[in-house]
Amino acid sequence: MNTRIRSSLIGGLFGFAIALISGGFAGILAGLVAGLINGFSVPQAEPLNNRAGAVRQGLVASLIASVLTILGIVIRSVLIDPVIGTPLNITSLLISIIGALILGIPVCVIMCVIRTEPPARERIGLAIVIGIVLVTYPWLDQFLNLRFMNEVIPVLVFILMALGLNIVVGYAGLLDLGYAAFFAIGAYAAGMVSSPHFGISWSFWLAIWVAAAVAALFGLILGSPTLPLRGDYLAIVTLGFGEIVPIAIKNLDKVTINIWNYPLLVDFDFTGGTKGINPINRPWLPVIGEFSPSTPIPWYFLILGIMLISIFFISRLRNSRLGRAWTALREDELAAGAMGINTVNVKLLAFAIGATVSGLAGAFYGSYISAIFPESFRFDVSVMLLCMVILGGLGNMSGVILGGIIIQFADRLFLPQFSTVVQKLIVASGNESLREVNFASDFRLLLFGLTLVLMMILRPQGLVPSGRAARVMPPVKVEVPHD
Amino acid sequence: MATMRPSAIRTVPWRLLGQIAVVIFCLLFLTIPFVEMVKAMIADPQLLARQLLIGVTNGAYIALIALGYTLVYGIVELINFAHGDLYMLGAFFSLSLIGAFSLTTETPWSIRAPILIVVLIATMGFTAGLNMLVDRWAYRRLRGVGSRMASLISAIGISFVFQNLGLLWGYLRFPFMNGVMGSNAVAPKSFPALLPSVNLFAGTGVRFGAKDLIVVGVSVVLLIGLYLFVSKTRLGKAMRATAQDRDAAALMGIDVNRTISLAFVLGGALAGASGMLVGLYNGTAVFDMGFTAGLRSFTAAVLGGIGNIVGAMLGGLLIGIISALSDQYISTKWTNAVVFGILVIILVFRPTGLLGDDTVQKA
Repeated sequence: MNTRIRSSLIGGLFGFAIALISGGFAGILAGLVAGLINGFSVPQAEPLNNRAGAVRQGLVASLIASVLTILGIVIRSVLIDPVIGTPLNITSLLISIIGALILGIPVCVIMCVIRTEPPARERIGLAIVIGIVLVTYPWLDQFLNLRFMNEVIPVLVFILMALGLNIVVGYAGLLDLGYAAFFAIGAYAAGMVSSPHFGISWSFWLAIWVAAAVAALFGLILGSPTLPLRGDYLAIVTLGFGEIVPIAIKNLDKVTINIWNYPLLVDFDFTGGTKGINPINRPWLPVIGEFSPSTPIPWYFLILGIMLISIFFISRLRNSRLGRAWTALREDELAAGAMGINTVNVKLLAFAIGATVSGLAGAFYGSYISAIFPESFRFDVSVMLLCMVILGGLGNMSGVILGGIIIQFADRLFLPQFSTVVQKLIVASGNESLREVNFASDFRLLLFGLTLVLMMILRPQGLVPSGRAARVMPPVKVEVPHD
Repeated sequence: MATMRPSAIRTVPWRLLGQIAVVIFCLLFLTIPFVEMVKAMIADPQLLARQLLIGVTNGAYIALIALGYTLVYGIVELINFAHGDLYMLGAFFSLSLIGAFSLTTETPWSIRAPILIVVLIATMGFTAGLNMLVDRWAYRRLRGVGSRMASLISAIGISFVFQNLGLLWGYLRFPFMNGVMGSNAVAPKSFPALLPSVNLFAGTGVRFGAKDLIVVGVSVVLLIGLYLFVSKTRLGKAMRATAQDRDAAALMGIDVNRTISLAFVLGGALAGASGMLVGLYNGTAVFDMGFTAGLRSFTAAVLGGIGNIVGAMLGGLLIGIISALSDQYISTKWTNAVVFGILVIILVFRPTGLLGDDTVQKA
């Protein structure tokens, strides 16, 4: 009972926060999220196949979550909205509450029922629920007039990158602090071959493969000098590469190469410098035509498709001979070498495959925003990705996706909305001194930093620990060495 | 910890592969610029001398920060990633104190000098205390239980927290600070020009101001003080013993945790001093300056041989000079890349650094 209440409280708190911060019809979404999270975190019911019990359980849990969510909606509409200048609208308040209940309770009950099924059917059931939510989300977003789509797409791009980083850090145990560099390399490779920059204007569908290949090649090139290094030295060298790549991209806009007074290149604009490359071609498909920035739905399904394909390949790799070799390498390099694993190839493949995933993400991102700038691939991107991987659980894909969703939504949706609300409250309260504080940009770093530190101290194995990663991040016995 | 020789088991010569990759890269891309650079240096010796002196001044403060890395790494084998940001907080703290004492360029020297010394000591105390608290709260409970990766990730987290503190510090508008933080929180903060800028080598075409001398002088005093502390006192001996073998040191009755705290305190104090000196010297401080400074200093510590105090000083000096030369002869834009490149090259060719011994990379 205890864990059940806890899971409904977790779901309810998420719903509460979303409803409180976003306002409008986001309350309905909050109900859905509360139901989903509640269902996920509910423990496997004992005994199995007790449907009636599961329905009862789901009803109780979803009621607790709904109460919190509705509390959020009510506080937002009754207390906050009038202060920040939106008058209280009883009809929309009632619609929000009813919508939250209608979406939240059935979802939670269904999830609870699924959780009582035997494992094989449970997995299929969960996949179906997630699939339905993912596929219907764009229309839900449109219907509720939330306009979250333009944030959801970058969120998916970053989750894709986190999955790639998870190969390097989680599976192979190589702490890579310069992972954003491959994102940049992929984006630039794709941008160079499909934009007016060099006059090469290939289709997106071709450019994305070029990006993946170039990123993989750079994964090999940058990975090879780090082969003899381990642990924190490896981390620092990859960090160095992660910084050199954006510097190089920024400054390779006037390349002049003279070989003994014979000018090979004069002021050759290689990367576009700080201006970046702009515009980059957008994908084109027969029925849809060229993807346009104003209709996000095709983009959403494109990135979702790339992600699903990557997830499929990564999970296959994970269980292959190579995947086991990565685990062996991570656990004990010396023993892995002694068992006949070619550690050089295995390490390089981890770098290259991780870089490939990032290259795909980069090509998509460049095409999506139709421009790329060297400044968008700095160290904080790498650290944010690391945060996502660690929060969810090193070496566990569903954990990484969960961590990615939490960090990204906090960064892109929660903080900006929170900032707007607080700004308006401050303005309304007449206190001028805090007016210039921009919570969205000013608390990002704190969020990442605290996540890393607290996770390391409280739960180094992540929210969803991976069975195999147990030795890398052993659960900490909280036992402070005494003075 | 017994040092294993992994290369005896592996069939593939990893280090050699990495080295070949770096050599090919260097030959391809760096030969011609290097020749051009040497030509330019010979052409104008006065400019070279000026840059070398700038390098010495930069090297002094880099050495101060590098010592913090080296002290901590020598004892707990942790790359204290947050150290660069501690230096930034030191600059901010000293700027706030300068504002609180309402020091300006008008203040007479008889008042200015003692107050500056007080500010220096207070700043060192502030950063030392902060570093100690961080060790206690964030790193200590990960020692021994988690892997080293856990401590490093925690340190990166602390670095981001510090950076954010610096960012929020910019919003402070207490009346007693006399508006030193300016009106824009994110913008670089400017220090009043409190150090005299008289050129000591006036008329020779070479510039080495009194403020350079002060920065170098204070740094050298602190460096010598630290060296004497570590090599002559009982506490210093305890530090060296703990660095060599923590368990044996504990058996000999040394309080290991306190000794580690001491390393953090000393490193923090030096970082704070460095932050204040750089703030006064360059006249600005910005919340994200710790990242670059930290990486340069870490490179310096690795170059000198991490864990080695004299090595960190030497490395700091070298990195200071290299970056000053790179600023002049390559381009300011590329200096960071040059420093990172050097770091990569050292780690690949000689991870023990110039003065380090072979036990450094205990994996």
